[in-house]
Amino acid sequence: MTRSVTPARAAVALALALLAVAVTASALGVRSAPSVTASSGDEILVAGASDLQFAFEELGEAFTEATGDDVTFTFGSSGQLATQIVNGAPFHLFASANVGFVDEVIASGEGVASTKQTYAFGRIVVWSPKKRYGSLEALLDPKIRFIAIANPEHAPYGVAAQQALEDAGIYERVKSKLVYGENIADTLRLVKSGNADVGIVALSLAIVSGGRFWEIPPSRYEPLEQALVVTSTGQRGVVAQRFASFVMSEAGRRVMRRYGFFLPGERRGT
Amino acid sequence: MDWSSPLLLSLRVSLCATALTGVVGIGGAWVIARTSLPGRRALELSATLPIVLPPTVLGYYLLVALGRNSPIGEAWESLFGQPLVFTWQGAVVAASVASLPYCLRTARAAISDVDVRYEQAARTMGLPEWRIALQVTLPLARRGVLAGLALAFARALGDFGTTLMVAGNIPGRTQTMPIAIYDAVQAGNDHRALYLSAVLSIVALSVLAAVTLLERRPA
Repeated sequence: MTRSVTPARAAVALALALLAVAVTASALGVRSAPSVTASSGDEILVAGASDLQFAFEELGEAFTEATGDDVTFTFGSSGQLATQIVNGAPFHLFASANVGFVDEVIASGEGVASTKQTYAFGRIVVWSPKKRYGSLEALLDPKIRFIAIANPEHAPYGVAAQQALEDAGIYERVKSKLVYGENIADTLRLVKSGNADVGIVALSLAIVSGGRFWEIPPSRYEPLEQALVVTSTGQRGVVAQRFASFVMSEAGRRVMRRYGFFLPGERRGT
Repeated sequence: MDWSSPLLLSLRVSLCATALTGVVGIGGAWVIARTSLPGRRALELSATLPIVLPPTVLGYYLLVALGRNSPIGEAWESLFGQPLVFTWQGAVVAASVASLPYCLRTARAAISDVDVRYEQAARTMGLPEWRIALQVTLPLARRGVLAGLALAFARALGDFGTTLMVAGNIPGRTQTMPIAIYDAVQAGNDHRALYLSAVLSIVALSVLAAVTLLERRPA
């Protein structure tokens, strides 16, 4: 009898050990999270469209320096981020690539309507690592096997790309060559990695990625009106509003301009 | 380059998920193998679904079942003041459900293989059933049970699609290693992707090696 008890105890001990490790790891994780970001201020979570990746990371650092509040970003396609927010994702600010998704979030009750603001207008380019394609018609080149655009189902930049192709009257002819990125950063990656020959991506990403690009005239697609909205009440909501104001400030606009965004009130080329 | 926070989060989530799956999976395995509970075959089949269903479908079901508008989601939110979805606890639930069949099926096979005569002998000595299960059946089935736990841990550590649907991709909160790798690839940050992948591979291999050693050692 006593001999059969030993392995049972071993099993129980193992289970307890596993639980102890889980609890320890849990405690470690809880403690390590704040210590990673060693600042005294609040931390806000910002859901941002993928085209904002580089511009917003720079803005986030400048904001933390200026205010002591931390900003953590999750970048993705605006449609997917909007769905997550509607389903309860704990973001404090939503910066969309399209005003439509901001309206959706407000309609669901998750966004504070009075904080809705247009902060930029996006621009799209034909991008390729080596060869420069100087027109949309150049995409008809038979040597091109795949053309990457963002998924128009949920990525505003994909919608704009499709509109431009339709406007040029070549959408039906290139349709079979289209491959879809999850969001605009993913679209750029498809081309950068060589898996697609050319892509239609955000100027804000092309600017920092090298390669060769040609800007598609803004008259060929509906304006990519990028709007933001605060998605939280209380203290975090206040900080989120502060970050939104920072984006809209002169310092913020300088950064956004540098990444190739048109700004509200000074839009050209339409 | 911050790799420790996704790694710690991944370890925390998969260890908690293994603990949860271990209790439900081993308990369930014993019920299926050793009782005549009606519907226990259906129970085993439904617990196997996560292997068959694509992780995104599983994630979607969980998002619907645990979301803010579901009874479970509402109950959780009123108890803890925050939604279950898009939190690390939500990631634990996702990883648990995804890894349950691996633990349950392996443990069920191991328990079924235990010769009932040992249990009958214990019964004649007047041991209550729960002590027979804990002190006779489980120790005899321990290899399979441990293997099941190891499989569950490995599956939980590697879970991507289900977790992404249920918990999202929030750095420092729900961004586990696989999601951090996906995020790095999407952002075109190849160095980070490679680095995180290497770290995750080393951790996974070490866990596997540790379990193998543990299994080989005589009890």
